[in-house]
Amino acid sequence: MKIGLEMHFQLPTRSKLFCSCPTSSAEPNHNVCPVCLGYPGSRPSLNRKALEAGLGIARFLDCKIEEKVWFNRKTYFYPDLPKNFQITQYESPLGTNGHFDLNGRRIGIWRVHLEEDPGRIRRVGRSGEEIAFVDYNRSGIPLVEIVTAPDLTSPEEAREFIDQLVTELRSLCGLEAQDEQSFRVDANISLGEERVEVKNVQGLRNLERALKFEASRQSKLLAAGKKVVRETRRFDEERKVTSSAREKETEEDYGYIGEPDLGEFRIGEMARNLDLKETPLVRARRLVSSFGIGEATAKQLVLTSVTLTDLFEELCRHVPPEKAVSWTTGPISSNWAVLQDPGKWPEIVQIVKDDSDGRINDNEAKRRILSLAGVQQEAAVEGGDDMTKLISDFVDSHPEVLADYRKNPKAANMVIGHVMKESKGRYSSKEVVEEVRKEMDKRV
Amino acid sequence: MSAIYDLIRYAQLKHRAFTEIVEDLDDTKFHFSAKDNLCADGFQARAGSAVLDGYRPPFDATPIRKMKDSGGQLVGKTTMDEFGFGTFSTNSAHGVPLNPFDLERSCGGSSGGAGAAACLIPGHIALGVSTGGSISGPASFCGVVGLTPTYGRVSRYGLIDYGNSLDKVGLLSRSSSLVAKHFRTISGPDPKDPTSCAQPVLADRGKMPRSLAVPKEALQNLDPAVRSSFQDALSRFKELGTEVHEVSMPSLRFALPAYYILATSEASTNLARYCGMRFGRREEELNQHFNDFFTGVRSESFGDEAKRRILLGTFCRMVGFRSRYYLKSLAVRQLLIEEYQKVFRDHDAVVTPTMPFIAPRFEEIGRMKTLEMYGADVLTVPPNLTGMPHISVPCAYVKGLPVGMQLVADHWKELDLLEAASAWEKAFIYRFPEVSP
Amino acid sequence: MDRETIARVAKVARLNLTEEEMERYAKDLDDILNSFSVLDEAPAGDTYSFNPIPVVDVLREDEPGQDLDPQVLRDQMGTYEGFVRGPRLS
Repeated sequence: MKIGLEMHFQLPTRSKLFCSCPTSSAEPNHNVCPVCLGYPGSRPSLNRKALEAGLGIARFLDCKIEEKVWFNRKTYFYPDLPKNFQITQYESPLGTNGHFDLNGRRIGIWRVHLEEDPGRIRRVGRSGEEIAFVDYNRSGIPLVEIVTAPDLTSPEEAREFIDQLVTELRSLCGLEAQDEQSFRVDANISLGEERVEVKNVQGLRNLERALKFEASRQSKLLAAGKKVVRETRRFDEERKVTSSAREKETEEDYGYIGEPDLGEFRIGEMARNLDLKETPLVRARRLVSSFGIGEATAKQLVLTSVTLTDLFEELCRHVPPEKAVSWTTGPISSNWAVLQDPGKWPEIVQIVKDDSDGRINDNEAKRRILSLAGVQQEAAVEGGDDMTKLISDFVDSHPEVLADYRKNPKAANMVIGHVMKESKGRYSSKEVVEEVRKEMDKRV
Repeated sequence: MSAIYDLIRYAQLKHRAFTEIVEDLDDTKFHFSAKDNLCADGFQARAGSAVLDGYRPPFDATPIRKMKDSGGQLVGKTTMDEFGFGTFSTNSAHGVPLNPFDLERSCGGSSGGAGAAACLIPGHIALGVSTGGSISGPASFCGVVGLTPTYGRVSRYGLIDYGNSLDKVGLLSRSSSLVAKHFRTISGPDPKDPTSCAQPVLADRGKMPRSLAVPKEALQNLDPAVRSSFQDALSRFKELGTEVHEVSMPSLRFALPAYYILATSEASTNLARYCGMRFGRREEELNQHFNDFFTGVRSESFGDEAKRRILLGTFCRMVGFRSRYYLKSLAVRQLLIEEYQKVFRDHDAVVTPTMPFIAPRFEEIGRMKTLEMYGADVLTVPPNLTGMPHISVPCAYVKGLPVGMQLVADHWKELDLLEAASAWEKAFIYRFPEVSP
Repeated sequence: MDRETIARVAKVARLNLTEEEMERYAKDLDDILNSFSVLDEAPAGDTYSFNPIPVVDVLREDEPGQDLDPQVLRDQMGTYEGFVRGPRLS
């Protein structure tokens, strides 16, 4: 099975692609102006943020970025299209020939480009005779179109691909959750030789349903020895089936020309200078390869919190990764509400480092972390005095140890062993050794 | 001031220069008019077309706003060919303007009304628009000064589009000083029109051209009276101390086809929005398939020339023809720009007659075939295609009718042209028709 | 320019033409395009731009703002419950 997707995502800018109308939610036809209504005499001007976001996506997907791009007019007639042409990028997409890493497999990305959203139609009236009620708030909202190669192999994989892509893009450029309104896709699916296009599916759930239905439909046809017809179909959301798109009375000839009102954009330099955030899944892969931690652990970290992962990486500079993992996913994350304060991090790092180096034991380290997090605990035992008392008591009652110690330092081991046993692991061995030696040297 | 108002009314009633005029003049302001494809709050903007009947723009075009901000009163909208499609203003749905010198002759087009207003009303400044010569032509036929600035010098925000890479807002008036003054007013970058944001800052003054180039290819197929008038004008120019040289510009023969293909390609997309929804002529019967809805309004409301250009432009963009026509024309524009700039390395301006004949009679126009009419633009199209600034000034009178001379300078050098026009009008006195309103 | 082609062009452009108009416009376009064939003699040229002067990197900052009250536009367009009514979709 081969599936290719042509996805449209709304970019999270504050103003529209070609005018400064707001993109926020509003009553019908409130976010409108002569430009996005296509009034005679109006003309577009390009939103810088939208261009940067589009370029960021093209770079993230490892596309070849063109040095110079422009926009085209795609002319066709429909009630939601104010100018009866859409301004899009036909000849010069922002990027081409990229890829997305899906669980170790590369999904080819053919192109990434910008275009404007048309208005929204509400169908009103008797079925089959509906007229259009148009809301132009959506007209002119920036869309990024991402076209994949037919490298996806199942509806489930397509779903997972989009989930992961959205996770990454959300971090990269603030793409919002793609609900039915903001995500639209045309899918190409073929089981055999012929490709079927399912056009204009709204939302992820519908896409998965449409693909599953279509896969099943094609599979049944082939099993019965019939051929799959190469055609364009639509997905009926209510009946959850795809059906042949009615023969269009007029086949459109889009008659692409350049859009002279916008001019050209030298994006090569702009793209090279973009400071791209490291996206979660990319970061997870880096954590696995740099620190050898497990994939599941890495994903858990990055999808929980960016700053928690930052702390994890900081800890890895001082202690072995396994230690960093257990402390980060353990008491630190349990108390993250308080510990996320970067002011506390130097102390956290010191505590974990001390634990790792053996200067304190795990219990003491945990106690200190909890204390830092402001958690009430049993009163801590004053380690120092207690140990000194243990040592003195033993040496006093075993004077021969002191005599032996004068001849051979190894005699201290008896004392060390006793103190370790009696203190029940309250102290780290290093602490005990140091203290015993100190006490015995004092008496010698 | 009431004398001026009388002249405005006279121009409207007798010569159909205006589609609409104000009721009163404001004495404290200077008066100007705007071609009816420029949007202005308080007036209709119908661009000579029935499809825009009833369109009242809720905003001012930037050039109009600038004129108002500098103390001007917009006194009327001037008649034009539908969307700019024409050379004689005969394709107007709102009245055909009549030549100030002879009521049976054309004012030229497509800014015919602007030419008439500028001629009939002293001290008047008329904003016009040129795509292929629609300021020069009327300036020539109506005997006034007409400046077409460099493409991108004046904001097109609020201009109802014909061709986005060809349209320019310009000025017509009896005197070059008035043109020069208001050229400054309307120039300058406007963020609402990105193509106006590439211009260099306007200098304080221009330089009088010292050397003029006459392309020999431009002297073919001229009316003999125009040819000899033009030669006389060149002699007069030499007396001003200017050199005149003949040059060859072989690519000029490609200009007309490339222009018409690019202009109509762009126009056919610009006119797609006129479909009975939201503005202009509306289609009330919603209970029809959208294709029928759109097709009905368009077929009933567009004039004959508009349909012809829409069909031509649509064809030139279609799959299978796009390379040969649309893309080729883009390349030819580049070729012509380079050829002009080669001439400008050695000369300051290119000079030709503006039109191949004097203002034709309406009955002559009625007998012209389409190609003949397009051919009338042969001298104005080249600088329009290349976006270079050009100015038309009266240089002779034949049978009592004005003959125009057109100077073309390199991009951004409008001020040099205005220097030349200023020097010229001291040497050659313009005549205006006797008017008794 | 045969009848089929002119009919197709008219359909793409959403224009209804009578038989007489189709013949007339087809002939017009034929004449015009024939005379334009001189373009074939022009050198090919490898670069082109869509404007006669360079218009490069003109961008607008992402600041929302409306200098025209949308109510004015709604009134002009004519709305029903806030929507602009349009034709049938099928």
